[in-house]
Amino acid sequence: MEGLLAGDDDAVRALYARYGRPIYSLGYRLLGTRESAEELTQDVFLTAWRKAARFDPTRGRLSTWLMTIAHNLAVDRLRRETGVSRPTLVLVDEVPDAPGLDEEAVLIERDAALRALSSLTEAERRLVGRAYFRGMTAREIAETDGIPLGTVKTRLRSAMIKVRKANEGKELL
Amino acid sequence: MTCTAVRDRLTEHALGGLSARDATTVDRHLMWCAACRKEAGELERASATLAFAVAPNDPPEALEGRVVEAVRHAVADPSRRHTPNPRRSRLTLVAALAAMLAVLGTGWGAVMANRAARSDQAAQREAIRTQSALERWRTMVRSLEFGDPANEVLLGTLNPGNIAGGGGSALTLVSPTIADMAIVLVEGVPDELREHLPLTVRLRGPEGALMVGRIDSDGLDDSGAGTVTREFGDLSGYDTVIVRDVGGRVVLHGSMQTRATVTSPSP
Repeated sequence: MEGLLAGDDDAVRALYARYGRPIYSLGYRLLGTRESAEELTQDVFLTAWRKAARFDPTRGRLSTWLMTIAHNLAVDRLRRETGVSRPTLVLVDEVPDAPGLDEEAVLIERDAALRALSSLTEAERRLVGRAYFRGMTAREIAETDGIPLGTVKTRLRSAMIKVRKANEGKELL
Repeated sequence: MTCTAVRDRLTEHALGGLSARDATTVDRHLMWCAACRKEAGELERASATLAFAVAPNDPPEALEGRVVEAVRHAVADPSRRHTPNPRRSRLTLVAALAAMLAVLGTGWGAVMANRAARSDQAAQREAIRTQSALERWRTMVRSLEFGDPANEVLLGTLNPGNIAGGGGSALTLVSPTIADMAIVLVEGVPDELREHLPLTVRLRGPEGALMVGRIDSDGLDDSGAGTVTREFGDLSGYDTVIVRDVGGRVVLHGSMQTRATVTSPSP
């Protein structure tokens, strides 16, 4: 992180090698176009550089921090772009066959993600997907489905606790 | 916001589903509440886990070079640096000290003294608040002197808006190591405005406006001076202060900038 703070090329390249692809993939899935995903990826690394001094490894993992930045920026952008239809949700595709060394760590994260999703019911997966991957608020979901806001919040919370517990005790990167 | 209200929002906070205003309120609570912060951290980890569930897509090869170049360009551009250079840090320290002396020596001190005189009970409350405020200033100055050189202090003078009269000063601290802070002091608020309280003080920045606080009739002393202060998660880029009356009219406004001098509030 010190390297990132200083804008060191090698540090930025190392961070990109590990997280560039998942950030780009998340951007592509949320925003729907390669151009938007590329812009988002650049914005994420710029934001990470700007906030690098605030990253506290004792309070969370680097991957959590970076993907939170990526998701927040993507959702902000989704909401700004009114009138643009939200991309179709696709949660899981096939995992590439031959990962490179840099990708192995990310695949561990992906395994954890798939394990977490498999712990959810189909209804919970759909609910979490609409909130996380389509940027829908609990209120929007409640209005769309015609169910009470409190019910949506309770179900979302329950699903997120399942996701959290699916990898409990499994220290990742 | 209470812990119960915050926890009701933590799932949506982790999923990015809160409004900017609600998210800021939750972030502010998380700065001092370790229990809620722990739960928020766990939900954020769960949320980040989901990010890795998307199907991998290969970015174009040229993107890596563009990312590296973008960061390199930002590092070289002083206006985009979050961390000021050493000379700038020294200037901001001088500015912060000047502001601190001005506020504590005249405006803020007078506000506190007048308010404290109203009753013994109020005096005790005000003494605690004054002590707390002083401690925050000391923490800030200690940080500026000995802490992270990345701290940045912005100062500004408030000028009258649609209503004639009044003025003030404002200070924001943007720090990577301690909570960001905004302090806004208004003074000389005309008597006719007392019918249009509370005054609402906001900072405007890249993601809209952040509420710093409200000043009601109890918050204004006889000379028309009052102070609001609040901590924030990130005040980067929030460089404009807008003070409105209850009818939404702009009473005072001002732009913040890094500089070595600040207009001293009148006694």
